[in-house]
Amino acid sequence: MEILMFNLLGGLSVALALGAIISKRPVNSAINLIGTMFCLAGLFAMQDAHLIAALQVLVYAGAIMALFLFVIMLLNVREKVGAESRRQPYWQLLAVVSAGALFVPLVTLGGGKILKFKEAASGFGTTAAVGRLLYTDYILPFEIASVLLLAALVGAVILTKTKIR
Amino acid sequence: MATKIKKIRRNVTLTLWEQSYVPEILRGMYITLEHFFINLWGLILEFAWSGREDRKIATVYYPEESVTPPPAYRGRPVLVLGADGNEKCVACGLCEAACPPQCISIIGAERANGERYPLRYTLDGTRCIFCGRCEEACPKEAIVMSDDWRNLCEYDRSKMIYEKADLLVPEEKLAGRLAFIRDKAFGKDRY
Amino acid sequence: MTLALVETAAKIAFVFGLNIGVFAPLLGWVERKQSAVMQDRIGADRADVFGFTIIGLFHTMSDTIKLIFKEDFIPRGADRIMHTAAPALALIPALVAFTVIPFGGHYTLWGHNVNLVVADLDVGALFVFAISSLAAYGVVLAGWSSNNNWSFLGGLRAAAQMFSYEVAMGLTIIGLVMFYQSLSLVTIVEKQNEFWHWGIIWHWPAFILYFTCAIAENKRIPFDVPEAESELVAGYFTEYSGMKFIMFWMAEFVEVVTISALCVVLFFGGHHLPFVTDAELISGLGGALYPNFANLAAMGIGILTFIVKVIILIFIQMTIRWTLPRFRYDQVMALGWKLVLPASLIWIFIVGVGILSGIMPRP
Repeated sequence: MEILMFNLLGGLSVALALGAIISKRPVNSAINLIGTMFCLAGLFAMQDAHLIAALQVLVYAGAIMALFLFVIMLLNVREKVGAESRRQPYWQLLAVVSAGALFVPLVTLGGGKILKFKEAASGFGTTAAVGRLLYTDYILPFEIASVLLLAALVGAVILTKTKIR
Repeated sequence: MATKIKKIRRNVTLTLWEQSYVPEILRGMYITLEHFFINLWGLILEFAWSGREDRKIATVYYPEESVTPPPAYRGRPVLVLGADGNEKCVACGLCEAACPPQCISIIGAERANGERYPLRYTLDGTRCIFCGRCEEACPKEAIVMSDDWRNLCEYDRSKMIYEKADLLVPEEKLAGRLAFIRDKAFGKDRY
Repeated sequence: MTLALVETAAKIAFVFGLNIGVFAPLLGWVERKQSAVMQDRIGADRADVFGFTIIGLFHTMSDTIKLIFKEDFIPRGADRIMHTAAPALALIPALVAFTVIPFGGHYTLWGHNVNLVVADLDVGALFVFAISSLAAYGVVLAGWSSNNNWSFLGGLRAAAQMFSYEVAMGLTIIGLVMFYQSLSLVTIVEKQNEFWHWGIIWHWPAFILYFTCAIAENKRIPFDVPEAESELVAGYFTEYSGMKFIMFWMAEFVEVVTISALCVVLFFGGHHLPFVTDAELISGLGGALYPNFANLAAMGIGILTFIVKVIILIFIQMTIRWTLPRFRYDQVMALGWKLVLPASLIWIFIVGVGILSGIMPRP
């Protein structure tokens, strides 16, 4: 059962991610990416990380991708037609080479062996466990991340605010 | 409605509770819910409406009940048939000129005794906008807006081109409208 | 294994049958009739079957049949896939959010433990918000894929409104989660066994804030700017007709039910009767002598109580809809960001202080 779900979700996420890259229309590409995020959330849920799965859908697929969509729609990014849509062989070659360069170490260093995992502790992935870790051991990265977000927020407001005469 | 003099506060700063509009929303909901429950009991039991004429349901249950239109109502334009059996229209063409969608078409002719009369009077019912300018323009009170609003629908557009025979109505039936336009609408003081 | 599957299938059938089969058509009727009775008129009550007009309930059927037979078109230049997918994206999240809402408690029937919720997640509350945030995509895609300037603007505005109020909606619930110490809706309902543990007693500001955010999320009046029935033709779903149009309307009504169900579960005790705990109910119905039938009867009473409470909240939402005028769009956004969000943050702070100081005793 688990293997079936994993194959399904994993295959679907790979297919949707490919669709996100290959699709010619930006909006279709964004929708494919939303689907990928959804499948990733499913994979997280399969590994007992319920909170992260729910947050993935809530934050990433729900809010961030929506902002992507907004930008695409507001800037009216269109599919390239005509002369601009001809194939660009050099970029494609570069893409294949860099993907290969990332893939090879993954396979040689990590793959091929079945890694032994420790059994997950009870209460792993629940809100209480994650919250406890976040607020005790990892409080500093947490606060730094929130300061970073605050800086982004203030920066966005300053960039768009018009002077009040 | 009883006239109550209410003191209106303007330019006041609202408290935080008032700014959230929750008291106002609750007040509004109280009024609508009052209407709702009184009407609900009235629909079921009828006694809630006894003695409160302003509370009854305003719907007219057409076609079982029907509404008599007020005297100023502009229904279908009709030609007045005088007592002597002839139409009052003298084919002057003023209504044809006054009609905004130009739906009236007149061909005039002369009778043996010299009177003018419309040989053909065509009113295109698909174009008429029921504005009443023909009635206002007519110097002979020969075309009036009746209170007929029922017989206006047809399945076939060619049936809606009204000829003179479709438009003639005896004078007695239009007495109310004629009195209205004489006294109230186009009287001397209103011109 | 099969018994669990059958049980889950029965629960899913009950939930979705109740939603789509009963509540969605009924809400269409309620909207017409309640608005009519409030406005001193009779609603639509002429549709009849063999001469029987049951106060206009047949109108939902006749409207649905009429809309099914309408021509289903895609406007020229529109994106075909998105135009077809948008209503589904609007309807499915509203339905799926109902899977974690418990419509009853735990009952032991013939040795078998029955938990009346389709999926007992331990992040239930977060799941509901996550799934509702996907409904915004249906709106945005509907507006964009219609190849219509004004639909597009309406869709963007609707999406901006929905995202603003989603943020605040999540924050209003945090005080409640702190109070009940769990994100799981089943646990929250369990802890509301006594009347004085109901969420509304201590958290009525959170109820007001959450109710406001939920109505704004659902684009009901007074936050009706995207649809604006009397101004724009239909806002972001102008270019839809037939079955797709029904799906948008059904999505709105199903979300009304979901919001009411969530309010009932979080604030009004779920399926519990006001001053009767679960154990008292079962023993009162003859639990010692006939435990199975007492449990069955208690289950029935629980479901009935839940449905009655949901109906009361739906009634309140409908009353608000027909009482208030529409907010202007800048008022909507100002309310969301400048009033509701700071208020919910302050409420979290107050609840924290209250719990730590012992003023709010946790159940």
